[in-house]
Amino acid sequence: MLTKGTLVYIGQRLVLIAFTVVAVSSVVFLGIHRLPGDALMSERLRGSAYQALLHHYGLDRPLLVQYWDYIVGVVTRGDLGESLVNRGLHITPLVLRELGVSAEVGGLALIFTIGLGLTLGIFAALRQNTWLDYLLTTTSVVGYSMPNFVIAAFLILIFGVWLDNVTGGNFYYQLGGWRGDIGQLWLPAFALGFPYASIVARLTRASMLEVIRQDYIRTARAKGLTEFLITVRHALRNALIPVITILGPLVIGIITGSVVIENFFGIPGLGKEFAQSILNRDYAIVIGVFTMYAALVGLANLVVDLAYVVIDPRIRY
Amino acid sequence: MATAVAAIARPIQFEQASLWSDAWRRLRRNRLALVATIYLAVLVAVALVSTVWTPYRMSAIGVTQTYAPPSAAHLLGADELGRDILSRLMVGAQVSIVVGVGTQVLVLIVGVPIGLLAGYYKGWLDSVISFVINVFYGIPDILVAMILVFLLGPSLRNIIISIVVTRWMDMARLVRGQALSLREREFVEAGRAAGARPVKMLFGHILPNALGPIIVQATFGIPAAILFEAFLSFLGVGVQPPTPSWGSMANEGVASIQYAPHMVIAPSIALSLTLMAFNFLGDGLRDALDPRTRR
Repeated sequence: MLTKGTLVYIGQRLVLIAFTVVAVSSVVFLGIHRLPGDALMSERLRGSAYQALLHHYGLDRPLLVQYWDYIVGVVTRGDLGESLVNRGLHITPLVLRELGVSAEVGGLALIFTIGLGLTLGIFAALRQNTWLDYLLTTTSVVGYSMPNFVIAAFLILIFGVWLDNVTGGNFYYQLGGWRGDIGQLWLPAFALGFPYASIVARLTRASMLEVIRQDYIRTARAKGLTEFLITVRHALRNALIPVITILGPLVIGIITGSVVIENFFGIPGLGKEFAQSILNRDYAIVIGVFTMYAALVGLANLVVDLAYVVIDPRIRY
Repeated sequence: MATAVAAIARPIQFEQASLWSDAWRRLRRNRLALVATIYLAVLVAVALVSTVWTPYRMSAIGVTQTYAPPSAAHLLGADELGRDILSRLMVGAQVSIVVGVGTQVLVLIVGVPIGLLAGYYKGWLDSVISFVINVFYGIPDILVAMILVFLLGPSLRNIIISIVVTRWMDMARLVRGQALSLREREFVEAGRAAGARPVKMLFGHILPNALGPIIVQATFGIPAAILFEAFLSFLGVGVQPPTPSWGSMANEGVASIQYAPHMVIAPSIALSLTLMAFNFLGDGLRDALDPRTRR
């Protein structure tokens, strides 16, 4: 499967990703540094203390020199610089730690999305035009019309307020808390994934309906295979192809959606850091986290494109 | 005999069903889409009314007790400053509609010509435009929009610009695809043979034939833009106080969700219903205008 062509393709994509990451973070870097004033103005320092601080961050040098140093630092040392608000806090370790937290929530959300979406879609297709089908189809429109923070709000209301005794008051994220705390992981992941699960369900239903009418399914049935085997081994595999086309937008959606959800549930991940840094005007962290996100989204898209090859051997790069 | 001659002389008048009347007939049959249309009409009316009249002034503080639950005088209760939530919700509808429709108008202005050029001329122009579209698809849209709003300053105009910058590609890609397939059709060839100028070809022949999918896409784009604005406002980088937005109202409500759940429930339901209505309308329009892709 890993032919030379595939490797060349992966190489090209990686170059393109690196290009995009550098391009977008350059735009953000230069854009932010063009804002009037500087990041330290709010501290109302005067004279030498102010100069020393400017020098500490290298902000007294020409913009292009700062930019070049920044890019060199990112590329050679993976160094995203130092926080402007919390002096002495280096961004790279911070961002890596938060990435782990975000990945946990996002990964679970992805499993929810695909698992729930596929299951509901398959059932709706197999029971086409029954009440179950109508119920699932309508729910899915409702599902993708609800912003994730609305779903989150209702989940918090139900589990955090009305069923407070059941969840034992341990609702919100606590560092070092038990992984199974419901508000810590499961509900955020569900709120994050549900809108996309609805989309996956709709697509799965549509493509399943197309596939199960085809001749090779009838052949499989004539051979006497069980319905389960027909559905899972024969129909689903072909029905998956159109579903995979939305995996890319879906992964991006979960990554960007996590910004909202993490702020909602107080999860100390990348998304919370990003929004808080924008509000705190900590430009260094904004650029650092954004660079991380751009790379992440690029890699996610690459992985999704490679997944096509695994599902559909007819596709080659 | 005479009657037969008369019948031949006067050709039978078929009732001509244009694309639009046909579509309207199909749309009316779709009950969900019809309900959605009525809801949206009411919403627009409410937004218009709120420009001249709201039950209380939307920024008036302390018109009743803070966190007051819904009552006869304040149908949806009051928020943390004792402001009337219904009044704020009505003004918030303005924000949502302006952002949703304004964004799509700009997206049409940007995306349609770009898509037409790429699809009609193919070649290097198409390669360049497609590359740019792919690069834009690869960036995390909400994050870029947040940074853009942050750089430009949070005003309604800048929010709209930021959404357009990060979401123009859907329309461009759709129009490109339409133009790619339409350019091979006979009527386009005939037009070209007759010497029609490029502008006439693009906007007079290709565009009208792609109008159905474009309208559907724009209809789905409106709720996407409204959702985007709600996200931005929810995170505090969108519409700034005292102007209420459904997103920022939900955000304010979260802090007091334990003792004043109505603060978060009211804007959440308004937002969900509106997005749902646009999605149902979009589904209905797709079935009505583009019968080939009917599910």
